[in-house]
Amino acid sequence: MKLQSERRWITQYTILTLVIFLPLLWSFRYVRNLYPFTVWNVMMAGGDLQTGRSYCVLRGETVAGETIDIRPIELTNALYGRNWTMVNATITNQSFKLPSVHPANVALLERVGGVENLKQGERIPDLLLTWGNLYNNHLPPTSSRRLRVIRLDMYQWSSGQYADYATFITSWRTQL
Amino acid sequence: MNRFTSGSALTLGVTRSVVSGTFLIATLVTSFSALGQLPVTILRPTGLMKVLPWNFYDRLLTPSGMFAFKSVLLLSLLLSTFGLLTSFSTKVSLLLVIFYEGLVRSFGHYNHDEMLAVYYLVVLAFVPCGDDFSLDHWLGRKRAGQSSFIYGYPVLLMQSLMAWVYFSSALVKMRVAGLKYLSADNLPVLAIFHSLDNLHDTGFRLAFWLPQVRVVLPFVVGVVLVWELFFPVAIVWRRARWWILGFGVLFHIATLFLMNIFFPYQLAMYLIFVDWDKVGEWINRRRT
Repeated sequence: MKLQSERRWITQYTILTLVIFLPLLWSFRYVRNLYPFTVWNVMMAGGDLQTGRSYCVLRGETVAGETIDIRPIELTNALYGRNWTMVNATITNQSFKLPSVHPANVALLERVGGVENLKQGERIPDLLLTWGNLYNNHLPPTSSRRLRVIRLDMYQWSSGQYADYATFITSWRTQL
Repeated sequence: MNRFTSGSALTLGVTRSVVSGTFLIATLVTSFSALGQLPVTILRPTGLMKVLPWNFYDRLLTPSGMFAFKSVLLLSLLLSTFGLLTSFSTKVSLLLVIFYEGLVRSFGHYNHDEMLAVYYLVVLAFVPCGDDFSLDHWLGRKRAGQSSFIYGYPVLLMQSLMAWVYFSSALVKMRVAGLKYLSADNLPVLAIFHSLDNLHDTGFRLAFWLPQVRVVLPFVVGVVLVWELFFPVAIVWRRARWWILGFGVLFHIATLFLMNIFFPYQLAMYLIFVDWDKVGEWINRRRT
């Protein structure tokens, strides 16, 4: 009886092992993440000093007239480790380039006449509005620390040297 | 082989509590209603998440929709952490966590921190992990059996998954970047890039010191690659295990301070290498 039960578990564990490792081997072979099948390709390409890189800083302008830095992790902590790539993908309009596009994005594409006619970061104002409201909701209505404007400033790290890290490129501003 | 697959119901039960408990704590401190306020128009469903229609995401991604989802997720994780209705609750937790992790990856990128823990949930959903260290056991609904293989193999499988994470990561780097990965500028460039914005979770600035020591960095990167390649040794050689895991803890802390990138789930999963039977014996000895 015991042997029979153990044999059943051996069969079950063999299937479980194959179900887990076969997709992992496939992901590894093709270096492709197809959720939930994963290849651990973190930092696989390495850094190259000659390649220019752009990055963003989230800031707010308070009612009192002060400009402050805001960390998105304090607003949307569900996206820990991912807020920066969400911004990058939104700047490059990635959500308009899917095989199945959201109906509201389809409507916008029809209005402007295609992806190529979209502004850079078409949906960034929507994201900024959400972040601005989340920030203000933490404060009393009379607080001078409330934001009247939230903005995303984009900079470039000029390539080729360990200096000139902050060449200003552009900014998105949303009035709250 | 028997040496590696021997284990107890207690070890497997504690492992279930650790893995489910890690997700439970993370869910408790996460604002799902804030996530529900993000515009659905920036969502990019990834992999399996593509099978769900847009009107499903439209309904879910609201503060009330995400609050309801969080409540169900918390309940299932609570049950699986404490081991009540274990074979049911571990499967429900697995499904809900897979969905949630897919959702956050559909906003950002495919980051890898939680993925090993997700794979551990897959294992735990299909093994007898509620036979001990569970409410099911303490209420007399489940009994711990004798077979060490039945309880030991799942632990070996989870240890092998962790070894695969590091080993395959080293192989992929060598396949994609080759010897270029050992260039003196690799680490400083990556570290500085991840320290420039304020969109990362932390704002450590140690990366800007790295160019001053760039001559030694190829050796540092090389040591990390060798450590990743040798990680599977932690399964078979118990004496080396704590050195390998200790290096891992230092490595993940270093990526936090140098690159503002941290893998807390991955570190929590190191507990899979703890011999919980010995810990139990030690606790009992101290009691008596």
